[in-house]
Amino acid sequence: MNFAPRYLGRGSWLAQRDPRVLVLAVVCFVFAAIQVWDVRLMLVLLALAFAWYRSARIPFREVRRLWLFAIVFISLLVFGNGIIASGRVQRLPDGWEQHIYLYLPLLGSPISAENVTFAITQFLRFMSMIAIGMPLAFAIDPEVLGVTFARLGVPSRFAFAIDLTWRFIPSFAADFRTTLDAQRVRGMDFAPRSRGPVARLRRQVPVIVPTVVNAIAGAEDTIDAMDLRGFGTGPRTWLRELRLDRTDRAVLAGFVLLLVGATVAGFATSSSYLWIPPFMIPG
Amino acid sequence: MTSMSMSRGSLWSIDSRVIVYSAIGAALYGVLVGLFKIPIPGTTAVDVRPAFALVPFFGYAFGPIVGFFTGLVGNMIGDQISGWGALTSYNWSLANGVVGLLAGLAPLYLRSMMDKSLAQKALAGAIAGSIATVIGFLIVFYDMIKDQMDFNAVLTTEYVPVVVGDLIATIILVPVLVYAWEPVKERLGR
Repeated sequence: MNFAPRYLGRGSWLAQRDPRVLVLAVVCFVFAAIQVWDVRLMLVLLALAFAWYRSARIPFREVRRLWLFAIVFISLLVFGNGIIASGRVQRLPDGWEQHIYLYLPLLGSPISAENVTFAITQFLRFMSMIAIGMPLAFAIDPEVLGVTFARLGVPSRFAFAIDLTWRFIPSFAADFRTTLDAQRVRGMDFAPRSRGPVARLRRQVPVIVPTVVNAIAGAEDTIDAMDLRGFGTGPRTWLRELRLDRTDRAVLAGFVLLLVGATVAGFATSSSYLWIPPFMIPG
Repeated sequence: MTSMSMSRGSLWSIDSRVIVYSAIGAALYGVLVGLFKIPIPGTTAVDVRPAFALVPFFGYAFGPIVGFFTGLVGNMIGDQISGWGALTSYNWSLANGVVGLLAGLAPLYLRSMMDKSLAQKALAGAIAGSIATVIGFLIVFYDMIKDQMDFNAVLTTEYVPVVVGDLIATIILVPVLVYAWEPVKERLGR
């Protein structure tokens, strides 16, 4: 796995946006999506999310494994919830009767038009959230992460910590590989021999502990450098400044409207209730 | 200064040391959390995540702010690296953050153990981490509102598996990390 922050969306329309737009768009979209349970509106949100994702021009071959993981994980989550809920379906309109197709053998969980629709809506919702969120990792220049969060109102020290975190990742990943190789050279065998989780956990100790302790001990240089430069003694300036252009403002306004619209619709319409497609209801 | 030697007032101070340790904790957790997963035999979805022990350890060793940042930002980074998205399950990141925060508050409720021998400090780390894990992950029940999941589904497929796996990692690895870190800390003169 490649841990180095990869700017895969470099040069794309999305990468040209002010990075604050990307962060705020995800926030607005996620809070809008969690209020919508009508599968027709969810399909609209999914289309919007994939249009957004596509504008980042992230090469699919680079993120194929991430998509595979996401789809498998969502499927398990949705399926597990459907089975364990044993026919209880949330967000049904008042007084709605379920239309049961069959009962699962052994488990006895009912499969109905309603819980299938619920599962599909839940699946689409997770997919849309992932599509809208993935460009955060690949279409924001890692150089501007700190200033992005600072200009979003995060206290500058913590914005700096976020920036520092992102910069530490590649070097810690390299340290981890070095430690792993060093332990292998010393004869450590990390192949699982025992099925016991405790024994297998103890086998990871010779890799995890040196990586962590070396990272902490090596922090002294960074701390000294920051102290010598007077970190935290006054307002901080950033190397890059951010400016919202006309397109950024329009996009941002669109996402804010989406959030407001979803919230208002949740109270005024049936968008926050499941909509069961008529063709799924047995005659 | 570390949490293991902090006064109550200094638990909340923010200096360059807190910022750097926060960044280190979050980066390490974000990198390692997806690498190691040890399935528990006989279960379908219960994994021990060794890297999770970093959250209570960083909280316990360096204070609640470092612990909270390590859990919150580290989990978001891990989710983003894995493709899940930093904000898709924001309540889980918050839960991780609260675990680090509660472990960092150990001087308020385990002071007597933390002033004693290294063995007692290591034991206190495991206890603080365990308490923090059990309480902090209660936040995942917000999935009942966010994703309209069933209570039993959250309990049996999310809360219990995660807490069991993370407790195993915490009880074993936090004392080991405390044992490894204390001599280094002394050598560094802190």
